[in-house]
Amino acid sequence: MTRKNRGEKLPLVSHIIVAVYVLILVTPFYFVLISSFKSNTEIFNFPFSAPASFGLENFVEAWERVDLDKALVNSALVTGISLSLTLFLAIPASYAIARFRGKAGDYVERFFALGLLIPSFAALVPTVFLAIWMGLFQTREFLYLFFPATALPLTVILLTQFMRAIPSELQESASIDGAGRIRILVSIYTPLVVPGIATVTILNFLSFWNEYLFSLILAGPSPTERTSQVALPILVSQTETEFGVLLAGAVITMIPVYVVYIILNRRLEDVLVAGAVKG
Amino acid sequence: MIDTSSRHSLGVRRENTKLSFLWLPAVFWYTFFTVGPLLAMFYISLLEWPGLIAENSFVGLSNFEKLASDDVFWQAFRNSLIQIAVVLPILLPTSFMLGYYLSQKPPGHRLLRVILFTPALISLSAKSTMFLAIFAPLGLINSSLELVGLGALSTPWLASSSTAFGTVMAVELWGGIGFTAILFAARLSGVTPDVFEAAALDGAGHWKRIWAIAFPICREYVGVIAMLQFIWVMFGSAGLILLLTRGGPGNYSTNLSFLVYDTAFSQQQIGYSQAIAVVLFAIVLAGIALIRFSFRAKE
Repeated sequence: MTRKNRGEKLPLVSHIIVAVYVLILVTPFYFVLISSFKSNTEIFNFPFSAPASFGLENFVEAWERVDLDKALVNSALVTGISLSLTLFLAIPASYAIARFRGKAGDYVERFFALGLLIPSFAALVPTVFLAIWMGLFQTREFLYLFFPATALPLTVILLTQFMRAIPSELQESASIDGAGRIRILVSIYTPLVVPGIATVTILNFLSFWNEYLFSLILAGPSPTERTSQVALPILVSQTETEFGVLLAGAVITMIPVYVVYIILNRRLEDVLVAGAVKG
Repeated sequence: MIDTSSRHSLGVRRENTKLSFLWLPAVFWYTFFTVGPLLAMFYISLLEWPGLIAENSFVGLSNFEKLASDDVFWQAFRNSLIQIAVVLPILLPTSFMLGYYLSQKPPGHRLLRVILFTPALISLSAKSTMFLAIFAPLGLINSSLELVGLGALSTPWLASSSTAFGTVMAVELWGGIGFTAILFAARLSGVTPDVFEAAALDGAGHWKRIWAIAFPICREYVGVIAMLQFIWVMFGSAGLILLLTRGGPGNYSTNLSFLVYDTAFSQQQIGYSQAIAVVLFAIVLAGIALIRFSFRAKE
């Protein structure tokens, strides 16, 4: 018994190593937060001390320099519209895959499963030509249409699993009542897969809101089109040496995601774990 | 009897036809926006195309021939290999051990999870901004070194040829280890505790339990994670490099994915950039096959 208990305990050295890693993870966040209230002199001379005052000058400056209000609105538009369009395309598709009787359904599912392995980065440059050809290059409208495509594989695969869990008797009884395909989907299936919809929406929210490279190249850096993720590095190039302003800008762009994390907490963790391995 | 079954299959077929209309939009959308461009990549790699708005001409495989004698390409190729050879062997074992640690539910494991999770939510541009300030010549690292009297070690981390690429990899590992550990912990929580208890009774320490029991059980899962990380490192680091070093100084921190970006958008050699993209794509496919092969279930 005693031997077993001794075996259960983790050695001290493991706690020490984990503590060091935690320190390495937390320090940058601490540094960003306190520095966003500081002047350069304060940052350089006392990098670890709390700021002398909690004035918001740096935040205001960052906000105004790169029009963060416009950028955040663009981010919200891109994220919101892309999320809706993704669901609009993926819900019927996953319902059909789950209820299809025959080989074709498996093929469609496998088509999307294969898509999980190929990140959209592979086709970055040709996507530019697609945008030019559609007359939507350097506009955020292209992102509205493009982001859903990148999210479809994971969204369809996950939603199909949720759809499969619904007993098909439900469908049959509804068919007997004379309800049409679309009505069954909208009024019976969709409400039942709300947990699945929540899962994919959280995942897609994170990837749409945080996306950088495609937003930079396809929507471009002009103040009317750029998202907050594109605006932030522009702040870097403008204020190379004003770390306080720069980090205040970083904090502003991080807020929405961490607010969502605080609200959802464990749920968000579970969702990301589920999504990471599928994706 | 025959009558009903044929009517049934007719019903199934009609039902299937209706259903396939429902996946059509998604299949079309995905093909149009991602499969199409991917196929176009192969064709564009055969073109000479000096700029987004310039005329192009078909040149066959000459872009690929040019690659063979392009020093920058080989440097990027080397860097991608180094990146894989450094990041994966550090990331996988450490995050597996950390995942095991987490699955033992040590005191404070709830808080630990939150802390490991936090970096996974940060965007590339916020993360880069953060690390630009940390590794800047007057940034956090150098001023900390100064504080503890090691000022001699301070260096412009992202601008020096000997440290730039290493710093990029360190940033990749920084949050990657924690998030991957959570994934492993989730997998390990599905392992019945009796397996470990039996081993404990046999006097097996944690080290032995991790590598002789937990790891073999999770072998296939580790393979999946290895593959995803491999894909991410090969394709996904272009943005990080663009924001942290722009591939510099010189080409010291240029890898293949950044070179694809840089050749197309900075040097305006569209066809040539896609030849590099094709090579990168082939390497990733080969790597995926290799990883699947080496982590396949042992019978």
